[in-house]
Amino acid sequence: MSFTIPIGPYHPSLEEPFKLEVKCEGEIVQDAAMHVTFNFRGMEWLAQRRNYSQVIALVERVCGICSDLHTLTFSRAVEQLAGLSVPARAQYIRVIIAELERLTSHALWAGIAAEVMGFQTLFMTCFGLRERLMDILEIISGNRVHYAMNCIGGVNREISNPEAVLDIVKLIRQQVEDRLIPLFTTDRTIRARCIGIGVLKKEEAIKWGVVGPTARASGVSGDIRRSAPYAAYGQLEFNVPVETAGDVFSRVVVRLLEMVESCRMIEQAFKQMPPGAIRGPEFVEVPPGETVARSEAPRGEAFYYVASDGSDVPVRVKIRTPTLVNMPVVRSMVLGANLADVPLINASIDPCYSCTSR
Amino acid sequence: MSVKSMDKGEEILAQLSSGKGWEKRSDGWWLETPDANVEKMAHLMTEAKARLVTITAYEVSNDEFRIIYHWDLEGRMLNISAMTREKSIPTVAMIHPASDWAEREIHDYFAVQFTGRELAPLFLNPESSPGIFLGRSQDDHKEGKGEER
Repeated sequence: MSFTIPIGPYHPSLEEPFKLEVKCEGEIVQDAAMHVTFNFRGMEWLAQRRNYSQVIALVERVCGICSDLHTLTFSRAVEQLAGLSVPARAQYIRVIIAELERLTSHALWAGIAAEVMGFQTLFMTCFGLRERLMDILEIISGNRVHYAMNCIGGVNREISNPEAVLDIVKLIRQQVEDRLIPLFTTDRTIRARCIGIGVLKKEEAIKWGVVGPTARASGVSGDIRRSAPYAAYGQLEFNVPVETAGDVFSRVVVRLLEMVESCRMIEQAFKQMPPGAIRGPEFVEVPPGETVARSEAPRGEAFYYVASDGSDVPVRVKIRTPTLVNMPVVRSMVLGANLADVPLINASIDPCYSCTSR
Repeated sequence: MSVKSMDKGEEILAQLSSGKGWEKRSDGWWLETPDANVEKMAHLMTEAKARLVTITAYEVSNDEFRIIYHWDLEGRMLNISAMTREKSIPTVAMIHPASDWAEREIHDYFAVQFTGRELAPLFLNPESSPGIFLGRSQDDHKEGKGEER
């Protein structure tokens, strides 16, 4: 007997509003339909009615997890339009904050995945680590979520206490290597819940243009930090973890290994960061034109298109977040899956519906 | 970026533009052709293993839109734009499925028709009218610009 089960838009297994209608035969999913938009805020419309400095404050609110990434990408787009060069020190600070944000995001995701699997102790461990990361971001910026670090032409503030940041990063790296990776990869329950579940084949990932850890867990090695380096990424040595099985377990492994790489990048950035200015001129004239910029967010490539008519208000701002391109493949991931695995499969792409609706 | 991939990108742009009208910039390569054959573009890009990053709709005038297809070809952005006619443009979703949600989103926000496909609402409720959110006709684009600052 077939029946349709609506999950969401408000449901205990969802962190944000989203609706998934799954059609089942018994407990096996035969089809699924997705509905997003419950967080629409008209961000693009609003951005086209504010000056460039105001848009930075606005796009920081596209996402409550990768907020820095949005200001970074928008700032880079405007810098390209205005022909501004960013001081080298600011480029390194941008990398440090972006990687701290990636660590925070991945720690959050690991905690949520543990919670969805019913592993409360691991959930608390991950969120404990995330607290330390948020503490250090608060020490740097004064805020735990919206750091307001980026401005057009550089960054707003120095990292005044690098030793404290490095101490936390060392702790995080140690905890990820010694606790999280062994727990997530050897625990029998986690393996049973994740291995062979929610498989996304490489061909499907390519066909749908999937990005970020979701793509890299399916053998697609794309990473904007490597393929189109920005900020100071071109000066850093790092690996891009890639797995090939395409299941939930691979997505777990990719993100955990990425946390180690983020720690390595932050350590390198502090070592290599030159002294000097952290931003350019206060007021920037943006000539008419159009440009695109993209950055590697924790969930994958984020994209901005910005067009200027020469005034201080952009005439077009287009934002494409990684979840928008990753969401469509959830349907193929859940086909043939057990209904009980659907929340975990959905969570495994680390979706952000707020970003998606924007 | 290898010479080989530059050649591939150049080759595609040359085929779409009769060898002119495109420029290389620091943020990628740009081609603007009002009569671009978007289906041919999608075929060429799919064959070249390019990834569709997204599609941007830019309202220009008289309710017509410039539709910009942003492709990633081995790390380089290829931005190819075409104009709508009577707010319509052929779909490329059958050729390149990654455009599915991008086209549906543009339809929802700007009421642009992508001909040759069904456009199930992505962001809207089924009973809503498309184009109510971001279309210029719905707002105070010119007048309101300075007022909020």
